[in-house]
Amino acid sequence: MIVHDMVIVGGGLTGLMAAVQAPPGADVAIISKVYPTRSHSGAAQGGFNAAIGEDDSVEDHLFDTVKGGDYLGDQDAIEVLCSEGPDVIRQLEQMGVPWSRTPDGRPAQRALGGAGFPRACYAADISGHVVLHTLYERALAAGVRIYPEWRLVELLVEDDALAGLLVYDLATGRLEVVRCRVALLATGGYGRIFRKTTNAHANTGDGTAIAYRAGAVLSDMEFVQFHPTTLYGTNILISEAARGEGGYLFNADGERFMARYAPQKMELAPRDVVSRSIFQEIKEGRGLGDGYVNLDLTHLGADKITRQLPQVNELALLYAAVDPTQTPIPIEPAQHYSMGGIRVNLDCETNIPGLLAAGETANVSVHGANRLGGNSLLETVVFGRRAGKHLVKAADRPSPPPRSSLELALARWQAIFCTGKPPQPGDDSTSAIRDAMSRTMTDKVGVFRTGEELREAVEEIAALRRRYRALRVPPGEHPFNYELIEHLELGCLLELSEVTAGAAYRRTESRGAHYRMDYPRRDDANWLHHTLVRRGGDGPVYEAGPVSITRFQPQKRGY
Amino acid sequence: MRLALIINRFDPQTDNQPYDREYTVDWEQHETVLDLLLKTRREDPSLAFRRSCRSSICGSCAMVIADRSRLACHTLVREVAGDGGSLTIKPLPGFRQLKDLVVEMDPFFDALKRVLPWVIIVPQHNGLVSPEDSERIEPPATCILCGVCDAEVRQSGSVTPAALVKTVRLAVDPRDALGTERMKITGLTEEGLQTFRELLASVCPKGIKLPPVTLE
Repeated sequence: MIVHDMVIVGGGLTGLMAAVQAPPGADVAIISKVYPTRSHSGAAQGGFNAAIGEDDSVEDHLFDTVKGGDYLGDQDAIEVLCSEGPDVIRQLEQMGVPWSRTPDGRPAQRALGGAGFPRACYAADISGHVVLHTLYERALAAGVRIYPEWRLVELLVEDDALAGLLVYDLATGRLEVVRCRVALLATGGYGRIFRKTTNAHANTGDGTAIAYRAGAVLSDMEFVQFHPTTLYGTNILISEAARGEGGYLFNADGERFMARYAPQKMELAPRDVVSRSIFQEIKEGRGLGDGYVNLDLTHLGADKITRQLPQVNELALLYAAVDPTQTPIPIEPAQHYSMGGIRVNLDCETNIPGLLAAGETANVSVHGANRLGGNSLLETVVFGRRAGKHLVKAADRPSPPPRSSLELALARWQAIFCTGKPPQPGDDSTSAIRDAMSRTMTDKVGVFRTGEELREAVEEIAALRRRYRALRVPPGEHPFNYELIEHLELGCLLELSEVTAGAAYRRTESRGAHYRMDYPRRDDANWLHHTLVRRGGDGPVYEAGPVSITRFQPQKRGY
Repeated sequence: MRLALIINRFDPQTDNQPYDREYTVDWEQHETVLDLLLKTRREDPSLAFRRSCRSSICGSCAMVIADRSRLACHTLVREVAGDGGSLTIKPLPGFRQLKDLVVEMDPFFDALKRVLPWVIIVPQHNGLVSPEDSERIEPPATCILCGVCDAEVRQSGSVTPAALVKTVRLAVDPRDALGTERMKITGLTEEGLQTFRELLASVCPKGIKLPPVTLE
């Protein structure tokens, strides 16, 4: 058994930022299924929003975020996000983040979608990468204990309070019990429920799903962000910074079609608006090839592209064989971000005492029904910092020893292994079920949704879960048993697919990224509330939760 | 198109020695070596390799492909598939093979820790950094810690290649209290640093070109 006062699951931006808040000598450990620098935070390109410009204000950032989220975001949480932004950027500066700079030496800022001001602090188009590596450096400096390539298996909950964690060490193939006073989940999003996604292979929502199984409340799972510009075919992310630096979107007729949908903001409308517009163009026959549009950067010139967008340039050259300085980039929308997650309060507490969550894993909710570019990176560091500070306070509680929860968890663990002959070729498999699940989610729970397709999706996922329960994996303590890991991950993905499709089916309105063709209008009278979901004995149990509206009453949302 | 993928395999629980196993896989023009490995694992779930981002930023999938250390996700099949229609994949050299293409990374990260790999901030620094300094920091700050340079470059100094890249990144940062003093621990001459600079630019998946830095 391993014992720490504070355990953080996940070594991305949120987890690392939380870890470095602990005072010297504090007993804090990070458990991560990848080495921290492999975390998907590093793939974020655009920047960190913060109202540090002389003409900008926290008030404007707040309003843009509330409107961008189609009035579903909790305004008390958004106030925390926006008002702590400038200070956290200053703190990152002192930690050594290599920002791109203005001529007078301050962090440079660029415009991203849905913002009234160039507000995103950036480092070329590797903003997430440089901050991830800087925070990793700080964690090394602080002597944070890191357990790399350890995966969370179950949260152990006794009498409704956190008692510890059951984790699996990939290198040895062994289970370990980790006891702690308090734990933070910072495991990121779950984009891999979709076939078309920008997310890394590791983004399987383990923390979210495992917390849900342990009794945590999830919220707003129907709100899924589809990023407008991903490479056609591979869905590798092409940063919104490409449009922030001045890139245009063109259809097959050579029109800048965003003029039809967002005449003022054009390409820098929020992502939900741009993604819908692209699919509308394609649906109406103005797409190119088998269904893409062009992102044109050629007018920016080679110097600006290679200086400000070096990664975009490299990604297009390598993965699409397109030279963005000469030729438009073929792009299509794909899943990018999970607005939903584990419901938490402003101190990042879940409904399970001793369990915190922050970052994309959580729903606090600062993004509401649609996240603005530059706000998720900001959320990771603002709420990572808050979570880290609150961990220290919360660690003064003794935690109950794991007893029956551990016995149950071990019994469930044994039940996934086959006792007879191992699986044969032609048997049902993890990859076959995962393919079917991700196809269903992309085809039926995508940008344009209908009640009929959502109902079909709910049924298909239920059938896939039955198939999954019948699967068995070969037993034994094998090092680097990725077959077992992928099996465990699929269980999490199916759990989250079920509630994503189910919550989308329930919400009979259109708001932000959730667009119902059969209910195309926002319906504040009936649906200005969060969707809360708990895991019941017979499946998900949904209920409504209030939205915090402090300063801005809902208005019509146009761009 | 179809090729023979020859993968060096080793399971410490069952094998005394690593051995080569051949798989036949179909591939298309736009595919990367990582795509081939993912297809292969569908057929043989026991195959172990690391992967995550598939877009050359997480640094997980470094391995030897056609006799050179590279990232699988950063390598197009069409650029390495030999005329004979075969492709050989091995674990990263200089690292201990733990299972199949998975190598031990802890010594790599431990070597990094020895160079105090963080900015030791100058007291009361005003946080201003000139664009020129920022442009010097950026190339080494692009490092993804994939391990390719450690596998490919044998250099004369006393720190490992990736740790040297980190040392340069910190040495050129005006906020760092040690600054170019950091270069002393590398034990490098101007000539040795220049040789490393050229080797790094030729093997690094991110094409890092180290900026000029004073050796004191």
